[in-house]
Amino acid sequence: MSSYLLSRILQAIMTLIVMSVLVFVGLYMIGNPVDVLLSPSATPAERLEIIQAFGLDRPVWEQYLLFVSKALTGDLGNSFVFNQPALDLILQRMPATLELAFTALLMALVIGIPLGIRAGLRPDGLVSKSIMTFSILGFSLPTFWIGLIMILSFSVQLGWLPASGRGDTVDIFGVPVSFLTLNGWTHLILPAFNLALFKISLVIRLTRAGVMEVMQLDFVRFARAKGLTEHRILRVHVLKNTLIPLITVIGLELGSLIAFAVVTETIFAWPGMGKLIIDAIAVLDRPVILAYLMITVVMFSLINLLVDILYSVVDPRVRLEGASR
Amino acid sequence: MSNPILSISGLTTSFRTGGQWRDVIRDISFDIGPQETVAVVGESGSGKSVTAMSVMRLLGGNARSSGRIGFDGRDLLSLPLEEMQKIRGNRIGMIFQEPMTSLNPVLKIGDQITEVLMQHRGLDHATATTEAVRLLDKVRIPSAKARLGEYPMNFSGGMRQRVVIAIALACEPKLLIADEPTTALDVTIQAQILELIKTLQQEEGMSVLFITHDMGVVAEISDRTVVMYRGDIVETDTTRQIFRKASHPYTRALLSAVPQLGSMAGQPRPLRFPVVDMKTGEIAPVPPTADTVRHDIAPVLKVEHLITRFPVRKGILRRIAGRVHAVEDISFDLHAGETLSLVGESGCGKSTTGRSLIRLEKMTSGRVQIDGKEVTKANQGSLAEIRREAQMIFQDPFESLNPRMRVGRAIAEPMIAHGLASSSEAIRRAGTLLEQVGLSAAMADRFPHEFSGGQRQRVCIARALALDPKLIVADESVSALDVSIKAQVINLMLDLQEKLGLGYLFISHDMAVVERISHRVAVMYLGEIVEIGPRQSVFENPQHDYTRKLMAAVPIADPTRRQTRRIADSEIRSPYRAADYEPAKRQYREISPGHFVQLTVEK
Repeated sequence: MSSYLLSRILQAIMTLIVMSVLVFVGLYMIGNPVDVLLSPSATPAERLEIIQAFGLDRPVWEQYLLFVSKALTGDLGNSFVFNQPALDLILQRMPATLELAFTALLMALVIGIPLGIRAGLRPDGLVSKSIMTFSILGFSLPTFWIGLIMILSFSVQLGWLPASGRGDTVDIFGVPVSFLTLNGWTHLILPAFNLALFKISLVIRLTRAGVMEVMQLDFVRFARAKGLTEHRILRVHVLKNTLIPLITVIGLELGSLIAFAVVTETIFAWPGMGKLIIDAIAVLDRPVILAYLMITVVMFSLINLLVDILYSVVDPRVRLEGASR
Repeated sequence: MSNPILSISGLTTSFRTGGQWRDVIRDISFDIGPQETVAVVGESGSGKSVTAMSVMRLLGGNARSSGRIGFDGRDLLSLPLEEMQKIRGNRIGMIFQEPMTSLNPVLKIGDQITEVLMQHRGLDHATATTEAVRLLDKVRIPSAKARLGEYPMNFSGGMRQRVVIAIALACEPKLLIADEPTTALDVTIQAQILELIKTLQQEEGMSVLFITHDMGVVAEISDRTVVMYRGDIVETDTTRQIFRKASHPYTRALLSAVPQLGSMAGQPRPLRFPVVDMKTGEIAPVPPTADTVRHDIAPVLKVEHLITRFPVRKGILRRIAGRVHAVEDISFDLHAGETLSLVGESGCGKSTTGRSLIRLEKMTSGRVQIDGKEVTKANQGSLAEIRREAQMIFQDPFESLNPRMRVGRAIAEPMIAHGLASSSEAIRRAGTLLEQVGLSAAMADRFPHEFSGGQRQRVCIARALALDPKLIVADESVSALDVSIKAQVINLMLDLQEKLGLGYLFISHDMAVVERISHRVAVMYLGEIVEIGPRQSVFENPQHDYTRKLMAAVPIADPTRRQTRRIADSEIRSPYRAADYEPAKRQYREISPGHFVQLTVEK
């Protein structure tokens, strides 16, 4: 187990290095942030001063080494725009995004799995066909459009839910969260559902396919021959086997939930990281972009590790160090 | 018979396909008495498994059954589902063919046993666990208590089938339905499981309905036998009577096609199977086999000290932690017109040997010559030339043919690929080849799914013949076929050997078939040849312990020769060794001319 963990950490570090080099070189080639940031009326002297202050006059490899040596001490640089530590900027906004992403994930599982099971057990029934039609809609309609329609229906027409922003927050261990207040929930529910819609469809399809496949397997037939009730066969024998592929996909999708939150955050004016990164890219705010991407890489690595560990818990055939015998 | 346990009368089961109901079994009637074993035997598509599944009502929504299945004074077909669930696993236990897939891979063995006990006998978890240990002891699983917490993957096929039997017997059923319970198992393991079922039947005093395709198993285990053919019962009688004097032509045809171990005593050459007329039951005389072995020319295949090992890597640095010694220092020759059989149980390295010969598997060391050409050091170009001389036929004829390619095209392809014929010539020759294997040239336009299993294997043989090879490596080529089809394909292979002087390397686990087809036999165990020699000598005078064990385990298709044997409950060992393991140099002793046996190494 420990050698497995070590190899995973090494992998994550390699990814961090490769990613940061790519971003550095990429941004260097795209353009000079000073051109974007500085007003056209600035004097050449002012311009030079800024360039020197950002360290942009040095060769790119030197800039990179400087970045690495500072990053090792936990300093990812100050934002060119806000002149605040980039890491702080992101960490301030991260809870909002994570709250949104995890709420969406929870919705996807709580809604998707039961519907998927229902559709998998009687694939030819009317209910199953309606569920599958819903999931096709969830797949094919663009998120932003549904978001707008939801705002139109629930906020503008019916006036039930607020159209934008995050509700009242409560601090837990210094992290502001909104899902503990009623006002918070009214703000959260629309964007979370909007973000979850695609994932609900995905979970429905995966669960349905899994249930249909597992129901055909010999051990289900054998379980019936043992005289078990259909309920127990489903709950014990089928569900655990169906969860295995689901866990893998959900793990990967959690990452994309955080990344795709950008669109939803923009529509619902949700104060998350998505908005910040879009702005940073527009002005080539390198420290913020880098910090954001590094946090994302670390997060993805953590999620994948978690998925692998969970996987080995659910499926005894998977051993994290390879063949055990 | 007084008060049968199970009484089936007029059972008809149909399946719905494309909106139409089609009968799969028709008007099936038979009884099973107390403590009686009844075998239902037939080839694939005979409806024997459907009969068993109909009794348990496990066929699902696409099937319906009519008639009456009397059990315990009630008609199972008219019981509500809840009542049926109280009978399944409780009054009637069932075991299936595939021990590898009958158990849920993600649930502990213990839980899979206790759930039955809790369901039917209302035990609490602690009592059920104690009972589960007793059950595992009963099916002879060593250190039962410790194994309850393990998952199915930690058990071998034979051990899993024991667990399945333990589950089926958990509630002391009156009737056990066993649907091909030993078909997927190796022959020594099969013998163990059959013994186990017999012993448990006596201990528990239950009746057994045994579904099988294997006449040897039938002879071994059943009191009465029901023979099924395409959904109908053609004959029901005591097992002795059926084997002594079957009344229906189909039964006679089936029995004549069954290879019987020991039937070849005093017969030096391979022998074709007798062909039976399905209508009259007449048995045509077997034509004598010509002497095809060409000792006068250099052997077509020469193998010296062949070793194939597979490294097993572990850890971050992917260091070699150990090796699977799949093939360990084997040497043999094969002459034109000769059949050498490699026989052994799963994991003994027989298939890896076949694949290593034409470098489908990378050999670790050793020397292989095919038709005088070095395989070991050949470059890509000359390897292609060598492979032309040595063709393979695999076990599964459906998976080895491209489902989207017409068979004529499939047969022509190797000729075109090797540049031996133009496209039109090759297609024309494909027709000739199809005729040579007993099909018609017009079938070249068909797709693989339009053929039966036996016909598909003929197509594979035709494809192998397309390049005029001198050597054919047949890897379990007849193992998946029904008995009667198997007999036909073996007859065809013997015909072709006479006509074309082919050398066969026949890889098989089936001792009885091997006895029928080979000139020489090599017995493999843990990657090594433990005994090799002329077939007659090896079968009539087996020397190595393993050869003897293997032969003793084969069920004999003759109820009068039913043996009471004790097969040790040992597992087939694994050829996995530590990285620094160096195998000992093996010594062989010559028993009679050409018959060598490995000397047991003193430890």
